[in-house]
Amino acid sequence: MPDKRLTLKIISLLIFSDVLETFTHFCFKKSTLTQFQAVITDIPQAFGFLSGVFSSHFLWMGILSVVLTFILWSAVLSRIDLSVAVPVASSSYIFVPLVSIIALGEKISLMRWLGIILIVLGVVFVSKSTSEKGASVK
Amino acid sequence: MKPGIPFIIFLIMLTSLCDTINQMFLKSAINSFSGSCLRDIRGIFSFIAKIIMAPRVWIGFIFAFLSLCIWLFVLSRADLNLAFSLDSMHYLFIAASSRLILKERVGPQRWTGTVLIVLGIILVSLS
Repeated sequence: MPDKRLTLKIISLLIFSDVLETFTHFCFKKSTLTQFQAVITDIPQAFGFLSGVFSSHFLWMGILSVVLTFILWSAVLSRIDLSVAVPVASSSYIFVPLVSIIALGEKISLMRWLGIILIVLGVVFVSKSTSEKGASVK
Repeated sequence: MKPGIPFIIFLIMLTSLCDTINQMFLKSAINSFSGSCLRDIRGIFSFIAKIIMAPRVWIGFIFAFLSLCIWLFVLSRADLNLAFSLDSMHYLFIAASSRLILKERVGPQRWTGTVLIVLGIILVSLS
């Protein structure tokens, strides 16, 4: 029976796949921003838009990052329970606000702070549940 | 025409459900691999090959695609705060179906953690 405990290595893999996912969204957004045509009304325009998007390097970087994220996620799932991996992956809800504060100097409201604290507590609880006696070993 | 709130809520539940089904198929496929070790490059490549060859993974992809289509439709119609806070329900779906279908042991501590995360996400999305 493989050890299903949540180790630091698995947590860092999960966080890395979260960061990659954010990078994916960034790339896709960038690839559409290279297009000046904002309004698409007929089919030739739609093809023009698509061929523009597909010639953007950002799109291919985005696709590469989707594939990498999927492989990382599968590797994580081969080690731990799904009911652990999914909640712990919610840490991205913590990182995005933190990065916004530190890098962008955004102000975070009290309610958002409260939410972040609840998420952190939840992740701690879920992580601890993997080392419960006999909890994760069948 | 703007669809009613109940319909939007139903659609959001549906994307969460499709997402959960996708994860179920992926996880059950990975569980069926015997002795997969990811220690060296060869292990990693054979793991990737097994994933690509598994029919269950492809069934999962279909549900992921469905979920994406519904989600894009929801985003174009609904209030973002509502959409994101309701989408956090899928943590509960995952916990319940991991327990029922994958037979994972979801104890009180894991349930508490999951519920805290859902509440936290609702607060973050509404603020």
